[in-house]
Amino acid sequence: MSAETLTPEHKSDIDRVVEHWVGRVLRTGVWSSAGLMIVGLLLAWFSAGSIQPPSENPAPGQVLRNMLSGSFDPVTLIFAGLLLLMLTPFVRVLTAAVGFAAEKDTPFVIVALVVFAMLLAELLFSLR
Amino acid sequence: MSTVSFFLLVLGGGIAGTIGAMLGLGGGVFLIPFLVLVFDLPMHQAIATSILAVIATSSAGAAMNVERQTVNIRLGMVLEIATVIGAIAGGVTANLLSGAVLSRIFATLLLVVSFTMIWRLKHSGDTAPASTDGAFRSSYKDEATGTVVPYSAKRVPGVLLVSLIAGNISGLLGVGGGIFKVPAMHIISGIPIKAATATSNFMIGVTAAASAFIYFAHGHLNPMIVSPAVLGVLGGSFVGIRINRRIKGSFLTWIFAVVLLLVSLRMYWR
Repeated sequence: MSAETLTPEHKSDIDRVVEHWVGRVLRTGVWSSAGLMIVGLLLAWFSAGSIQPPSENPAPGQVLRNMLSGSFDPVTLIFAGLLLLMLTPFVRVLTAAVGFAAEKDTPFVIVALVVFAMLLAELLFSLR
Repeated sequence: MSTVSFFLLVLGGGIAGTIGAMLGLGGGVFLIPFLVLVFDLPMHQAIATSILAVIATSSAGAAMNVERQTVNIRLGMVLEIATVIGAIAGGVTANLLSGAVLSRIFATLLLVVSFTMIWRLKHSGDTAPASTDGAFRSSYKDEATGTVVPYSAKRVPGVLLVSLIAGNISGLLGVGGGIFKVPAMHIISGIPIKAATATSNFMIGVTAAASAFIYFAHGHLNPMIVSPAVLGVLGGSFVGIRINRRIKGSFLTWIFAVVLLLVSLRMYWR
């Protein structure tokens, strides 16, 4: 199925599932990110009495290593929140790609993968 | 950063998000002038902060709209190809320009936004039946009347071009770009305003993510400024949506169109 949808009632079941999952990914991404930022800011405030910006922004790799090693300092948490927010649209595009694939809607799988490839290129070029 | 400036950021973000959502604009249009004029933040940092706020509000809004089935996901993702190309180019360009130049381009944008707000005011009631013989056929349920509104998109290449420009402005200036896409989708493609607005907002998160890492790599994302501002804008946008449902006034639009005009002048001669 591709552009034959006419009314919400006529939408394919898989289309509804795609919409459901895309909505879920977006909601989970935003609220987990907000949660990480709030916890990080509260920790920073209670531990130092004020919120000092770091002298240098930690690299994403560093943030990941810190979290994996169990070091949840305030700046790491806040940064993880920001990174999660920036990556939420990436996951949203992939979710749609998987959904279109389940519908065997090849043209739109390609569209979603093109968008994802461009986002990924931007990410990799920026962080190289 | 002092506690006072922390709360000022949350409050400023909150007000920017509230007004933005009330007027159907993103938070960026008001957040950037606040960060630059009140907080004295360098233009590039203000743009980077706004990009993150835009991802947050777009994603939260799109989550709701997708489940209400007002978003045309297929059309949105095709147009995203254009907005993402535009946004990457915009993000790269912005980092080659000085803050003073960006500030003047932003002032010009505010001028355009101010006039577009008045245009939208006169066209928000457009309910002419949409054509259904174009591409990307879909429909949404109008909650006010309870009817199902079928529509399709005509002249998609025209909207692709506008999306490219809107994406470029988004990457360059840290706004969503919906103010250009929604009228284009309505006028050029004949998509009902409601579906156009939801689909445009759906695209904005991906568009903003396309320049976010560029600003991040240039060191313009200060976590201690971005996080309170994003939380403020996010909270404010929910307040704005609630107020928006109760107040239906052209008066408000006129006031803020004039406010934007004044802010534009202030940003230009900063």
